[in-house]
Amino acid sequence: MPAEETPTLKANIKPPVLVKLTKDGLLFLLDERCEFVDLIEHLKGLLFGETEAAFEGTKVKVAVDYGNRELDSGEVRDLLDVFLQKDNFVLVEWGSNTETRRTWAQTRKHLPKQNIFKGTVRAGQRLVFDGDVVVIGDVNPGGEVVASGDVYVFGKLAGVAHSGATGNRQTIIAAADFSPMQLRIASIVSRAPEENGKYLRTFMEFAYLRDDGMAVDKLKYLHWAGYQPTVPVATEEEAL
Amino acid sequence: MSTAIVITSGKGGVGKTTSSANIGTALALQGKKVCMVDLDIGLRNLDIVMGLENRIVFDIVDVVNGECELSQALVHDKRVPGLALLPAAQHRDKFVITPEQSKQIVDNLGELFDFIILDCPAGIEHGFRVAVAGAHQALVITTPENAAVRDADRVIGMLESANIMSPKLVINRIRPKMVRSGDMLDIDEIVQLLGIDLIGIVPDDETVISNANKGEPTVLKPDSKASLAYRNIARRILGDTVPLMSLEDEPTGLWSRMRRLISGR
Repeated sequence: MPAEETPTLKANIKPPVLVKLTKDGLLFLLDERCEFVDLIEHLKGLLFGETEAAFEGTKVKVAVDYGNRELDSGEVRDLLDVFLQKDNFVLVEWGSNTETRRTWAQTRKHLPKQNIFKGTVRAGQRLVFDGDVVVIGDVNPGGEVVASGDVYVFGKLAGVAHSGATGNRQTIIAAADFSPMQLRIASIVSRAPEENGKYLRTFMEFAYLRDDGMAVDKLKYLHWAGYQPTVPVATEEEAL
Repeated sequence: MSTAIVITSGKGGVGKTTSSANIGTALALQGKKVCMVDLDIGLRNLDIVMGLENRIVFDIVDVVNGECELSQALVHDKRVPGLALLPAAQHRDKFVITPEQSKQIVDNLGELFDFIILDCPAGIEHGFRVAVAGAHQALVITTPENAAVRDADRVIGMLESANIMSPKLVINRIRPKMVRSGDMLDIDEIVQLLGIDLIGIVPDDETVISNANKGEPTVLKPDSKASLAYRNIARRILGDTVPLMSLEDEPTGLWSRMRRLISGR
């Protein structure tokens, strides 16, 4: 019957153990459908086989989530044994539907889309992106880049940039060569300061919103602005 | 294999028609068979600049409407062998020609000529699309003014979306003195902003205006700097490596020569 075949098929494609890198340490996601023997074999192979070196080193916090699998006490002991054999593993969480797993799934869902545009944004062109955008090239005067997230320009920003176009005031606009014609963050519009009739031109700077308006600072002070960059907290390590 | 080159700028009055006339003539002087096509329908100028106005019988719209053969509409320039003009219509609306029709004409001309120079109207609407339809390459003309450079930038973007990659840049009407004093955008600045290859710079030269009024392209008078500049552009189109001309006036007086000697410049 096809309806019942699908899950097994899926289980065959997906390895029985998934290891995810989280902010705090490692999260082991154990498949809930495959045979227990297969699961424990795969786990042992992962931790003590060819990939052993990847799990050695300093102490690391480990969370284990076995999903909806029903384990009897013997199986629990067997499974725990495998993890306890690793000296550097500090088991912090164990169970089904663990806190770690939920946080991991949350951050994954909320990771904004990231776009890369390669090329020059010329006068009269207006590019709109959902999420963050990295422009590899120049934004010429008269060109416009709009994003609901951050705008980063790997080149000269001489046109108009609009970050947080859907209202996110936490977004920034950054450029390697920063001489924008106009900056917009959420609903705040600002012009580049002029000096002797010439626009400001600086390097590796970014614009962000403060309570009293827009500010521009060196990129290395990004963390001072209270800005939380979106680092990928969960990286795929399914190849392991 | 012929090459169709569209000469465009976006902004009006930067010297598209003058450049078309001079580059076309310069290519013919190099021994190529050249046809210049005026696509500024309703505002034809190229024939005036070339001094061929009084010899026009049929025009491009007549060809499109099938009222005459393509060869009948061509006006051959008697001063330069191998040079012809396909004039625009003066009293018609520009919408009478579609991009497909203009492409067909350019393709037909390709069997008769080595180079087809398409003189594009100002603007980026219908006329621009008609002019670009049959082109293989593009020359973007700009002057060292912010407005002209901005429009050139826009046009380059439009050329790219029309699949004419890597257009070449001509900077027209440069005044060396103003560039030196910082009152005019300098060449490097423009090239850096537009990000395309520079194929020539043309100094501002009064003889260009007087020659255009006389109906003689400047390249036919070898004595001016603008004439040399246009010839250099033609040679670069043909693949020669020609260094960019110096815009500095050669000092002729005794004092300036001595000053030059002392300062080592």
